[in-house]
Amino acid sequence: MEAAVVDAGSRLLKAGPAVPDQAPSMIIPNQMKRMPDEGSMNDSSSFEEIIVDPVVRGLIKDWDAMEDLLHHILYTGLGWEMGNEGQILFTDPLCTPKAVREQLVQLMFETFNISGFYASEQAVLSLYAVGRISGCTVDIGHGKIDIAPVIEGAVQHIASRRFEIGGIDLTKLLAEELGKSNPLVNIKMSDVEKIKEQYSCCADDELAYEKIKRSCQTEQHTLPDGQVITIGRERYTVGEALFQPSILGLEAHGIVEQLVRCISTVSSDNHRQLLENTVLCGGTASMTGFEERFQKEAGLCSSAVRPALIKAPEYMPENLTNYSAWVGGAILAKVVFPQNQHVTKADYDETGPSVVHRKCF
Amino acid sequence: MSWQTYVDEHLMCDIDGQGQHLAASAIVGHDGSPWAKSATFPQFKPEEINGIMKDFDEPGHLAPTGLHLGGVKYMVIQGEPGAVIRGKKGSGGITIKKTGQALVFGIYEEPVTPGQCNMVVERLGDYLVDQGL
Repeated sequence: MEAAVVDAGSRLLKAGPAVPDQAPSMIIPNQMKRMPDEGSMNDSSSFEEIIVDPVVRGLIKDWDAMEDLLHHILYTGLGWEMGNEGQILFTDPLCTPKAVREQLVQLMFETFNISGFYASEQAVLSLYAVGRISGCTVDIGHGKIDIAPVIEGAVQHIASRRFEIGGIDLTKLLAEELGKSNPLVNIKMSDVEKIKEQYSCCADDELAYEKIKRSCQTEQHTLPDGQVITIGRERYTVGEALFQPSILGLEAHGIVEQLVRCISTVSSDNHRQLLENTVLCGGTASMTGFEERFQKEAGLCSSAVRPALIKAPEYMPENLTNYSAWVGGAILAKVVFPQNQHVTKADYDETGPSVVHRKCF
Repeated sequence: MSWQTYVDEHLMCDIDGQGQHLAASAIVGHDGSPWAKSATFPQFKPEEINGIMKDFDEPGHLAPTGLHLGGVKYMVIQGEPGAVIRGKKGSGGITIKKTGQALVFGIYEEPVTPGQCNMVVERLGDYLVDQGL
């Protein structure tokens, strides 16, 4: 039976059997609703549905919800049978606290009784997906942006940086902007998410953005509830916010400058190797025009070596950016599990949850 | 039990019953004085031990320059701040575990994996810590 690979993101959870040249079989949104038990419902006709996000800013926060979600994925989605659980590989975001990793291992071995476990950082996996072991990953996800230099499969934690901004903040920004230009329309956040995915794009460069701010062609969009809104320059604002964080109200440099600064803390023999092998990953990075704009800004940046993006290999599926960490995990699973480098049930029983720090990195 | 026995039987042991061993290992005091070492353990310099002790106190100290031992340079990878330093050199590497009074070193080459080296070195290190050493 093939190992399962699970990449739990802040918005979408990617899971599937470890088949590297395909997309993950399950890409499902993370958001869950807590349903009240039958017995505890009052006589009132409407019951409150509490929306639960098990993964916040990349890290698992709500363990009960995560357990239910994993239960669904493993037994219903992947077709595992109780009593015959296989091996599983998880992806971790950068700088996952030790306690979170240990709790995950504990959950997997004790509640799900799996036979083998491995965890690896998303930055390294995204590089494996494009066929490299050294390079720099810029992971722009829903809950966070991670910039991590990786040399020969080892993340340089000293130099890596995490920003607690991501797709979710861009959605809020878009909601505000749309609210300003369409004051009479009430838009739900989930609709704003969809609008963002459909319409948002990046201007060619700063000058083009300024021009667009002054005059832009507008489009009409019909919301699911029938209301019509106009979308004009808001779509470019969302893309621009990554290059000019002042739009989001943050005192920070644009993403390319941040990348260059991260790399400058690594020893200089490796600068060229890192910058010339830059990988963009994450859902938000697949925005229209983002890659071109990134490359343009890279040409203007203040470093001697220009960041250059890696092209994904041809045998990889389309949209690799959205789930490169999952694909890398599938590749790694094919190597780690057959060679018994993973954490086995015996290892866990002998050493306890801290065995994950020793065997998985 | 002499320190040399610790090295010979517990660090240079057979890993996972597959006939594999660490390439070299040693137990060294915090001041750099060797308590016991395997035959192949490289000759190290006091500055290198000082650098290692400093990295335990200030994690990240060795990362820019690399970890040096016996003139060999290892690239510092994720360890556990104040407890474990891990280094990589090609397909081999080194794990250093800090106990109350000593440093336990383990150097591995292919086909021994980093995970296996960690298990051996850290298991002995944890045991020594429990014994108050």
